[in-house]
Amino acid sequence: MHFSRFLVLAGLLLALTAAPTFAQDYYAYVASESADEVALVRFDGEEATVEETIRVGRIPIETEGAHGLTVSPDGAHWFVSIAHGKPYGRVAKYETGTNEKVGTATVGMFPATMEISTVTGLLHVANFDLHGEQEPSSISLVDPSTMTEVEKIETGIMPHGSRFSPGGRMHYSVGMMDGTLYEIDALERTVTRTLTLDGDTPKPTWVQSHPSEPLAYVALNGGDAVLEVSLADWRVTRRFDTGEGTAPYNLDVTPDGETLVVTYKGTGETGIWDLTTGERLARLENSRTVTHGVVTTPDNRYAVVTAEGVGGEPGAVDIFDLKANERVASVDVGQQAGGVAFWKMEPTTAAASDASN
Amino acid sequence: MSFRSLRWAVGLAVACLVLAPPALAQSIEVDPADPTLEVGETQQLTGYYVDAEGERQRDTTIAFFSRNGRAAPVSRSGEVTAQAPGTHTLVALRPASGGQERLMTEVTVTVSQAPVAEVAFADVPSRVFTDTQVPVRAEARTDGGQVRDDVQIQLESSDPTVAEVDHLHRLSGKASGTVTLTARAEGQEATAPVEVVENPVASLDLTGGADSARTGDVLDFEATPRDANGAAVDDAPVHYAVRTEHTESIAPGATAEIGGDGRFVAEDAGQYTVVATSGSHTATHTVSVTPRNLDGRIEVVGRGRVSDVHTSDLWVWEAPADGRDYAITGTWGGDGEAYFWDVTDPANITPVDTVTVDARTVNDVKVSDDGRTCIISREGASDRKNGIVILDCADPTEVSVITEFTEQLTGGVHNLFIYEDHVYALSNGRRYEIINIEDRANPEIVSQFELETPGHSIHDVWVDDGIAYSSNWEDGVVLVDVDNGVQGGSPANPVEIGRYAYPSGWNHAAFPYDDEETGKDWVVAGDEAFPNGLNTENEPTIPAGWIHFIDFSDPDNPTEEARYQVPEAGSHNFWVEGDTLYVAYYNAGLRVVDLSGDLKGNLYEQGREIAHFKSFDPEGRIPNAPMAWGPQPYKGHIFFSDWNSGLWAVKLTSEE
Repeated sequence: MHFSRFLVLAGLLLALTAAPTFAQDYYAYVASESADEVALVRFDGEEATVEETIRVGRIPIETEGAHGLTVSPDGAHWFVSIAHGKPYGRVAKYETGTNEKVGTATVGMFPATMEISTVTGLLHVANFDLHGEQEPSSISLVDPSTMTEVEKIETGIMPHGSRFSPGGRMHYSVGMMDGTLYEIDALERTVTRTLTLDGDTPKPTWVQSHPSEPLAYVALNGGDAVLEVSLADWRVTRRFDTGEGTAPYNLDVTPDGETLVVTYKGTGETGIWDLTTGERLARLENSRTVTHGVVTTPDNRYAVVTAEGVGGEPGAVDIFDLKANERVASVDVGQQAGGVAFWKMEPTTAAASDASN
Repeated sequence: MSFRSLRWAVGLAVACLVLAPPALAQSIEVDPADPTLEVGETQQLTGYYVDAEGERQRDTTIAFFSRNGRAAPVSRSGEVTAQAPGTHTLVALRPASGGQERLMTEVTVTVSQAPVAEVAFADVPSRVFTDTQVPVRAEARTDGGQVRDDVQIQLESSDPTVAEVDHLHRLSGKASGTVTLTARAEGQEATAPVEVVENPVASLDLTGGADSARTGDVLDFEATPRDANGAAVDDAPVHYAVRTEHTESIAPGATAEIGGDGRFVAEDAGQYTVVATSGSHTATHTVSVTPRNLDGRIEVVGRGRVSDVHTSDLWVWEAPADGRDYAITGTWGGDGEAYFWDVTDPANITPVDTVTVDARTVNDVKVSDDGRTCIISREGASDRKNGIVILDCADPTEVSVITEFTEQLTGGVHNLFIYEDHVYALSNGRRYEIINIEDRANPEIVSQFELETPGHSIHDVWVDDGIAYSSNWEDGVVLVDVDNGVQGGSPANPVEIGRYAYPSGWNHAAFPYDDEETGKDWVVAGDEAFPNGLNTENEPTIPAGWIHFIDFSDPDNPTEEARYQVPEAGSHNFWVEGDTLYVAYYNAGLRVVDLSGDLKGNLYEQGREIAHFKSFDPEGRIPNAPMAWGPQPYKGHIFFSDWNSGLWAVKLTSEE
């Protein structure tokens, strides 16, 4: 490392450790599938508010299904998958902050979850394709600079949850209806390993890598369980039974690797698990039924959870305090709130102003 | 540390960074840097890493991808194939690794067309008459047979005093004799002999048409060239034109037209002279056109106001249980409700039942011919299974759910139709499933129909006389024999009859109209478009689009002949009964249009509109924002649903 860079980092570290703890604002984007809206939600530690609602889609009289969300690694853009198209789905790219649309790419049927590889810079999109015949679908690779689909990699039946390993090289996704975990080498652009998950109808719906260990966690929506998979040995190493009828759907691991947060779609709850002991710390009710997505904040403190609701109910964003293990805030968003992506945390304006005086 | 101290520390650190000696930028290079290929060729590209010291070394970790995989696909290792001409961008990517940042560079591939290997005449007459002009067409083709439209072809006559070719490739016969036409492009050439003969036409008859007509009336003229013996000269070309002599002083726009087939129509009142020309001969016929003066009025008879949720489609029918008349309306972006109304007395529309299903939008509602079965579509179901819900609505005051059906329909059903114990239900906007409902509790898919075009998409299907009329956005209207017999089709074996697409790609709905007077089989096709977006709260919306009239009398050669286009508004659903078109024209409200006689041109400009009514409602879901969704003429009234205000019953009247 250059000496000058060392000085910068040392200086920043010194400043941050010596500075008082600022109050934080947390920002997340939330997609509402039956409203074709994305809401920018801000949580100030006490209250959650919708800062802005962005209408998405191109055939406004039809429900196109804003489903998945991700924010680029540099935080400059957010991407939303639009499930229904003519007939293929699309991914739309927006600037964070201004929330102006800057491009779209047509991908496969019912694009769902997605993330950008920090190694290749390509956006990987899971084409869920939950319509019609159960046949293998794919992961679309999209060049986000021009929003061009450059390749499709065939995986399994109804690929849904998908995330990269921390290094951004290996991509993991699960085939909901073939019960299989897929690993793609982002460099080689090929499927490198598959792992059949247990049970007759495991219906895996999400996979998330551990931030520092060679582990991944898979939500079994049909098996009422979460599996821990060793990426080194490529086998299941632990099973967390979430409870009958919970139908775990999405999950996230806190950046410190200590806590697993799981959405229970079947019971409208959120489970908080200690990954060291394998014990559930809390099972908390959401403000609406049909719990869907979750993302934890970079400071390991909160989980931002979406709940779809049913019929005419609005969707909801619930904030869970992972220290107190309680729901501390909620805010209504558009119908069928699903995909959620964390954007940024920053000192609250008031706190920053106080500190400078 | 205060915030001021923090800023000082950061400033110091940044200063150190700025004063440090700059490092050379790393990069990647590709050989060749500017690849040029012909269509069909392949070339291997090689990636190199250039380090901070400027040293270049081969790097096999560099991966390639194409931003136009159809025109210039490239393998991961850099083998590019030229599929289509133009300039295409490839990307060479060196992944991030070992603390080094990801590097990318763009490579522009220039793909040139394959050279012209052949020039050939595609359309040239062997004989022309003096004093006539006919088009000539030649093509430049590659070795693979591809037609090069980008190549300028030079056409030349061997003797311009006999026959001359102009810059638009029109051949004019000047004098009797024989010439050789030569077509040249990129060093290739083709020749064709053409004989020019003395024009035998001695006279020109112009028949048909009429001395007087109303705006919008289509008149058929026929010009017949004859020789000195009075015999028709069938291969002598005839051209038509129209001259306008206005009877009013107000300057009009384009007001009348006549096609190459001799069909004339006027939009404005006035005197029009049709001029037919063949060689040096002309014939004329003057027509006096008067205004159509349709004097219809629409009176509101009754309302079934829905103002807390947006309303979608409707259906009106007579219930077998009590012989009374009922309507069903759907809801959009709400709680999955369908409302049932007693409309026996249209002046007193009364809600009688509500069915709520797991959905956000019940976009379509249909009722079987026997009035016993209602089927509603689902979108936005919480379990994402969507599909359709089959209801027993023999007694609409006590509607019950028979079953839901989601097989193959999980992507959401936007529209459906019931025809002779079968449901035609859209699946995810991709195809329609044909479902047997003879046993209503146990529906069974018997087949499906899906187009083969890339990126095809379907929006609606309507079945009449055993023909399914589907509306497919860019792919237009598609007619399928599902029980008509014209192509031997059946529900289990749907067979396409024909299709017609138009450039906008807005095809949203279709309705058949067989005109007994002219014998023409029309398909009325409607657009839907929202170039100005859709306001779901507070403000009115200004959609776009119009109604297209497609003559499907020859299913192999359908032709679009007319339109009905209301300015500053957008069409939605419509219905044809007799010679009358009822259009729910979104922000332009309900429109009633006269279709009698032949159709040509813009019916709106011709004054064929009988009446219109804008459904303003100060208590609407969006107040005072007409948004007519779908009409249905029924027992002397017109019922229509409005997205913002619910169900309306109106009556068409005329002035005393």
